[in-house]
Amino acid sequence: MSVRPEAGGPAAAGRPSDAAAVAAAPRRRRLHPLTFVVGAVRELAALLAAGATGLLVGGMSTAFYFTLAGLAFGLVFHVTGWVIFTYVLHGDRIELRRVLIGRSVKSIPRDRIRSVDVSASLPQRLLGLAVVHIDAGAEGGEGTLNAVSRQEADRLRRVLLARPTADRRPPRRLLARAAPRWYLYAPLSGAYLLTPFAVAGSVLGTLYNLGDDLGLITQRRVESVGHDVAGVAPAVAVALLVVVLLAMPVMSVIVFSLFNWDFTVHERDGSILVERGVLTRRAVSLERRRLRGVELSDNPLERRAGVVRLGALITGLGDAAHRGRLLPAAPRAAAGDLAARVLGPVPGPLIAHPRAARGRRVARAVAPVAGVAAIAVLAGQPWVAYVCAAVAVLAVPLGLDRYRQLGHASDGARLTVRSGSLRRRQVVVDHGAVIGWRIRRTLFQRRLGLATLFVATGAGDGGYSATDMSESDAVAFAAAITPDWLAPFIERPAPEPPAAKDAGPGA
Amino acid sequence: MRRTHQKDGGGPRPPRLRPPENRVSPRAIAHWAIEYLLLWGLAFGLALGVAAWLGHAGWSGMPGWLSGRVGWLPYIVGTAGVLMVTAAPVWRYRVHRWEVSADVVYTRTGWFSREWLLVPVGRIQTVDTEQGWIERLLGLATIKVNTASHTGSSEVAGLPADVATRLAEQLAHRAHDLRDDAT
Repeated sequence: MSVRPEAGGPAAAGRPSDAAAVAAAPRRRRLHPLTFVVGAVRELAALLAAGATGLLVGGMSTAFYFTLAGLAFGLVFHVTGWVIFTYVLHGDRIELRRVLIGRSVKSIPRDRIRSVDVSASLPQRLLGLAVVHIDAGAEGGEGTLNAVSRQEADRLRRVLLARPTADRRPPRRLLARAAPRWYLYAPLSGAYLLTPFAVAGSVLGTLYNLGDDLGLITQRRVESVGHDVAGVAPAVAVALLVVVLLAMPVMSVIVFSLFNWDFTVHERDGSILVERGVLTRRAVSLERRRLRGVELSDNPLERRAGVVRLGALITGLGDAAHRGRLLPAAPRAAAGDLAARVLGPVPGPLIAHPRAARGRRVARAVAPVAGVAAIAVLAGQPWVAYVCAAVAVLAVPLGLDRYRQLGHASDGARLTVRSGSLRRRQVVVDHGAVIGWRIRRTLFQRRLGLATLFVATGAGDGGYSATDMSESDAVAFAAAITPDWLAPFIERPAPEPPAAKDAGPGA
Repeated sequence: MRRTHQKDGGGPRPPRLRPPENRVSPRAIAHWAIEYLLLWGLAFGLALGVAAWLGHAGWSGMPGWLSGRVGWLPYIVGTAGVLMVTAAPVWRYRVHRWEVSADVVYTRTGWFSREWLLVPVGRIQTVDTEQGWIERLLGLATIKVNTASHTGSSEVAGLPADVATRLAEQLAHRAHDLRDDAT
């Protein structure tokens, strides 16, 4: 091992220094020494619990020695892990190396780095540590520094996302900040409503496992609890249900606030910095030059309340909803305002799709349920068939709404497409970010003169569709945005009117 | 719903895409036919087995309406298989076309549902040619044009092997020359 030790490990790791200094003298750095303390302590707790159990069950049995050995092994493992791992910040790349007997060096080019994500769990925050996650997309790979001191994490984020040209640090500018009353929108989103159940489930599961480990849970006790539950008066059960129903929105607001506390969006150095959370304060840096578009999503409840979630489409970062989140739940005007600041105004108004698309949306909403109903009838299961028929009837308004939500527009610099009902998504993509077009026409679409246009882009999901446009609109829309690509393939003025919808002799 | 007829005449002609210039090799028909034959042959064998097994077992959990008709299963699968093996390859051959002009790769693929795909060469990341064992027997190759997006990546099957190799080389060179960030 040829690791040049730094003056006083922890102090050096924690010392804030400038980008220039680092570029001049790339130094080998280590993770914060408290890291292995955190790791070892965490395992220590688990091992001590296991050891105590071993003592209870079999006295100073072999299990206990095994625990001790495991403990020693864990400590050695963590210390070794800390000793062998170093990272070096070069002018053009960051190298993460693990050198013991084998050698693994991961080199991430700095100009490929798309986001630097700093997070800290509660114990890490108490010790002033933070985990740095570096994402460099498909070509660059990713790396994790678990963990460095808070200052070092901030410094790394600054340095790694700074472009070589930016010497002095411009002040960061506030783009958006979530107002506290927006937390009240949490119950509108289904996911947060279910959090009480998730919390209750995980608490019960932990209790059960703990009890099981300590030998408190026996067959008889489980049965007696079951008896007690079954014997509870209906009034109590109803009361419990009401409490749970009341708890759902309250809990969802609490959990939502924990995750999205003081949600702020800043702009600095050509990157967008999103910070949120209480217990784990998360800071995600998104590089502006990799921003290709934004996504506005909502569900029917949120739609009614005029609330929308905003996400960023970043090349190489597939997860627009989570990691690329720009606003959790915000009034439409605020989201539109932030979208305009990071990308540009959302094009509008949307152009509706032809009436022929309506029947298709309804048919596609109803068909699966109707199919199940038909099978149920054949199989002689009338009740299933009735339920399915009822659901199929309910699916009609859903299909109609899906049709209403379809739309597309372009304003010369950005295009937008919208679809979906229960989860409606409107995506805005920069014209320059379009990397291809795909037009799909099924047999049914061909009969109706419809086509689905997919906008291929290297960010987000990789492709976004304008479902069931009229065929000529689809081609015209693409041709208006990238005229050079389509011009050679546009049909010359044909002598006969375009009656045959299926272009070409292949049809 | 009727097909929406264009109210054209004098107004600006609605733009329509012409089909790409080149067909794939006619041997592609044989390739697809063999593929479908193997797949549907396997399905037919499975259907025979399932029908025989269910017929013998007299499994009581089976609903009555099914038990009398389980013998139809191989016939249904067989008919579908024959249709697929005879009709689909020709249909696909008639649809599959490709063209590269003005630094845009333009393809049309599919049969039941068709896809027109336009990918500018400047946005291509990699170009692969692949040959399965049936394709090797027939001297065919598949060319895969990959971009940063799955939606924008195209695949042309059934090209003659030499054409595919040459095309892949050309595209890779041209993509290298034009390529900026390709995202």
